[in-house]
Amino acid sequence: MTTSPYCTIGPFFPASFVDGCNDLTLTDGKCAKGPYIALTGRVLEEGGKPTRNTILEIWQPDGNGIFRNPLDPRFVDADPGFLGWGRAKTDAEGNYRFLTVVPGAYENRCPHANLMILAIGLTRRLVTTVFFSETPAQVNDPVLNCVDPALRDRLFAKRDPEPDSRGLFTYRFDLILRGENETPFFLD
Amino acid sequence: MQQFDYQPYDDKTQVARKIERYPLSFTRNPIAPLVRRPLTLSERTGPTGLARHFGAGALDLSRSVPEGPRAVGQLIRVGGRVTDEDGSPLAGAVVELWQANSAGKYIHEMDRHIAPIDPNFTGEGRLVTDEDGGFNFFTIKPGAYPVLESGWWWRPPHIHFSIFGPSWMNRYVTQIFFPGEPLNETDLLLNAVPDKDVRDRLLFKFDSTTMGDVSSIAYRLDFVMRGRRCTPALD
Repeated sequence: MTTSPYCTIGPFFPASFVDGCNDLTLTDGKCAKGPYIALTGRVLEEGGKPTRNTILEIWQPDGNGIFRNPLDPRFVDADPGFLGWGRAKTDAEGNYRFLTVVPGAYENRCPHANLMILAIGLTRRLVTTVFFSETPAQVNDPVLNCVDPALRDRLFAKRDPEPDSRGLFTYRFDLILRGENETPFFLD
Repeated sequence: MQQFDYQPYDDKTQVARKIERYPLSFTRNPIAPLVRRPLTLSERTGPTGLARHFGAGALDLSRSVPEGPRAVGQLIRVGGRVTDEDGSPLAGAVVELWQANSAGKYIHEMDRHIAPIDPNFTGEGRLVTDEDGGFNFFTIKPGAYPVLESGWWWRPPHIHFSIFGPSWMNRYVTQIFFPGEPLNETDLLLNAVPDKDVRDRLLFKFDSTTMGDVSSIAYRLDFVMRGRRCTPALD
């Protein structure tokens, strides 16, 4: 059987499907193990124009690099307070924000989170991966290695040098859908 | 344990990425070719426990509170199944759905159409597929509405679906249309699927009429998520 066709998410995705979903630190009444971080940035289209009302979803392992999914051999040790999935929506300036933890490394994968983008104008989702290392040049990751070496730096979130007033570190990652400094996206 | 095998989507079975007269499809899709990558545990896994997390369950969109008054509109029932490419049922999949009311109005800050909101209709909900991958919900048939900024385009009646398959690789979002609607002929999105047989898979199929406590017109729709079940070789 062939797969069902995608269609765009459109402009009217219900707010109730998004509200609160950008906080990955609380699941079923349990708190994830910290430290927590903010992952934030802008989603821009051609010409550096902000996209409003864009939906982002994130999927990542917990701080120890364990996915909350039975395919993970370490599944039983997954953080019970960490679902690993979240959803955010961009504001009028194109800003999104997740509250999460730095994903742990595991096997041959370096700290990373999967992102997907849904918006009007996108008939299908766009998928990419954001990496968290402080030393991008030294990262050896099988997914990152598929990307043109000159463009790999575009897949790294940049950490603010200082934490905010609550001690929270902010990682910044802009998604440029098209044009100058375009973000690499993966075949889906 | 059984695993899934995922191939990239075949573009011939999918909607076009760029659509004439739909300007945002030209300013939001990357210039660079999409990069082929290996699939690791990270892409092969996906969120679990979402049904409990969301509180998803049986769904009746035709009223905003249980036992409350029905929304205005033609009462319909939609049933179907979610399977993988081998036809194996995907049990416990969370399905999100949302739609306009019978006047073609969404409850959303971006909706500027003058049509009225129906107090008995929220137009959104979540359900979970049963052990056979099956689902069923009541709603009212959505109305058509204008895409105001286009100056000409009216969207035919449709319902939006978002499905959480078992992995990040089959996280799926689409819109499903009603057969026989004149506006289907001019809809940019529906007609962006080049192949007619593929396009027909974005249409509900008329199923039956029912009489009883809740008389309704029934439609059917089956979804096929990417992925074939495969059993990994033993070491």
